Amino acid sequence: MNPVSRGIRNAFRNTSRTFSIVIILGLSIGLALAMLVADQSVNNKINTVKASVGNTITVTPAGFSRFSSVNNSLTTSQLAPLSKLANVTGVEESFTDRLITIGSNTNLPFGNTKSSATTSLSSPVKLKAKAGRRFFYVGGGGANFSPANFSLPITFLATNNPNQINTGNLAIVSGKMINANLDDNQALVSQAMATKNNLKVGSTFTAYSTTLSVEGIFSNSTQSANNTVVVSLPTGQAISNKSGVVTSAVVYVNSLDNLASVTNAVKNKLGSAADVTSSQQQANQTVAPLDSVKSISLYSLIGAVIAGSLIILLTMVMIVRERTREIGVIKAIGASNGRISLQFMSEAVTLTLMGAVVGLIFAILAASPITHTLVNNSATSNRQFGFGGPGAAFRAAGPRFISGGRGAGGFLRDNFTNIHAAVGWSVLGFGLLSAIVIAVIGSAGVAYFISKIRPAVVMRTE
Amino acid sequence: MLTVKDLKKSYKSGDVTVAAVNGISLSLKEGQFASIVGRSGSGKSTLLSLLGALDKPSSGQIFVDNQDITQLHDKDLIKYRCKTIGFVFQSYNLVPNLTALENVMLPMEFGGISKEDRHSRASLLLDQVGLSADKQTRKPARLSGGEQQRVAIARALANKPKLILADEPTGNLDSQTGTMIFDLLHNLSKSQNTTIIVVTHDNEIAGKTDKTFKLSDGKLITKKS
Repeated sequence: MNPVSRGIRNAFRNTSRTFSIVIILGLSIGLALAMLVADQSVNNKINTVKASVGNTITVTPAGFSRFSSVNNSLTTSQLAPLSKLANVTGVEESFTDRLITIGSNTNLPFGNTKSSATTSLSSPVKLKAKAGRRFFYVGGGGANFSPANFSLPITFLATNNPNQINTGNLAIVSGKMINANLDDNQALVSQAMATKNNLKVGSTFTAYSTTLSVEGIFSNSTQSANNTVVVSLPTGQAISNKSGVVTSAVVYVNSLDNLASVTNAVKNKLGSAADVTSSQQQANQTVAPLDSVKSISLYSLIGAVIAGSLIILLTMVMIVRERTREIGVIKAIGASNGRISLQFMSEAVTLTLMGAVVGLIFAILAASPITHTLVNNSATSNRQFGFGGPGAAFRAAGPRFISGGRGAGGFLRDNFTNIHAAVGWSVLGFGLLSAIVIAVIGSAGVAYFISKIRPAVVMRTE
Repeated sequence: MLTVKDLKKSYKSGDVTVAAVNGISLSLKEGQFASIVGRSGSGKSTLLSLLGALDKPSSGQIFVDNQDITQLHDKDLIKYRCKTIGFVFQSYNLVPNLTALENVMLPMEFGGISKEDRHSRASLLLDQVGLSADKQTRKPARLSGGEQQRVAIARALANKPKLILADEPTGNLDSQTGTMIFDLLHNLSKSQNTTIIVVTHDNEIAGKTDKTFKLSDGKLITKKS
């Protein structure tokens, strides 16, 4: 028998005490593991959110609002230097407007009611509203009510990167993609728009009093996309008689690491003419509430490890004091302090490993409820302060809104309850490591007490 | 084999300094069986703990085989206790959760003896002190006082020490068992040429030893040889 096996055997010397210590230690280690799981889960969610919003910077004219009739604008020549900035992989420019259906009742509270931008198309989106109250899209609730001869204004989107809108739930189902560089009066319309206006590939319609041809038809599940006509940027600028005008741009950066520096470079280039916001900034603002969860879990984790260390330290001190005479005897027959300390350390490790097993079971059972409670409390308290705000701003970022992007705010809010909290291998590893650390810290003080016991004590207590 | 010169050990008890051992000098040859007698508080156990390097003297010298153990460093003292000394205590002081066999193997483990050799030697020693095989795997709580003291003697012999120090080894035993234990120690000193010092209150036992030292107030007052 060696010191290690003696220590293991000693751990079971007093079964009722061992049971109590293991349960208390187990709760402490279990809490630490549950907090680690919460921390990891929140971190994963934050990373997912940040990854989902991409390495992009949104540029809009200063004070721009999609529904305002009086807006500043940017120009292609102003944006041209952006593509030459270091680490920029592309600049997506777009021009958006709203088209009024010729002959329709437009005396509605949407602003820009006297726009000269007209189209022969009718909106496929039906409205549902109660008289005297605000409008809702179909399916939004409320009694059927449509003003006579009413058609919702149609979103007109001109972009130099129509491929980018062909993401998410948007797909060409008939015809082909328009050429982004040509002023060729070709357009993309949604399936709903095509059905509403009896359009096929090759059919024509008018916008800004100019005849456009349907080059392709796309499918999309969102009402906003269904209500949109897409053309190339040169076509849009030409037919709207707004040569070079751009209402928004998205700058693509080669990596997240360079996002902040490129954002500053874009701000420096455009000065006060534009509002510049990086997607990462928006994501950071959106996930900021989760930082409190991270802090709570981190402090609780540290606290639980310290508590575990104290439990085992005090336990071992108590055991050493109890066995003072026995230690004296062992010293008297030739044991060194190191050998005796190793025996007690082995006993402490045995106790904490058993505590770790109990803690792991506790963590498996409690990690998910604890994580969701922490996250939900955080989400609830932050919603009261307009949680999801940055996401709303993100929706205005040019063509991306077509693909149904609801912004990082909406994404996170909807997924708060979907945070996956599970005990993985890393948690198992941490549990083992923390048990050993707790045992070593806990028994380190014991070595001091052991070294202070003189073998002569065995004679004096006779 | 053992020479003690002007050995002193004093303690502070409040403001008073107590001289537990006060200038003792004695000597023993190899294989001698000696006893130390005296009343409680006369310094018997303190002298024994100094001889066994369990405590350090205030002054004086202890030569074991011409080596002054009062000058040894802590590491060498551990080695001295392990290899040169064997202790037998009044209340046996066996490790309660180890079997008799494991208790005897313990000093051999500290002495660096291989596991196989430890086991066979421990079993042999327990046979020699008269503990039957079925009792060798019992824990101390399941052995009688005499049997526990036999185990303690076997443990003291484990590393073939030159000097065995026994602190009232028969103090907790009935007279018949005490006599058996004394005879066992006496035979060992003769058969293995081991020097043995026994602290005892029992004058009958003291009378059977080769030498007897009587202590009073920390001083050696008489010596029978």
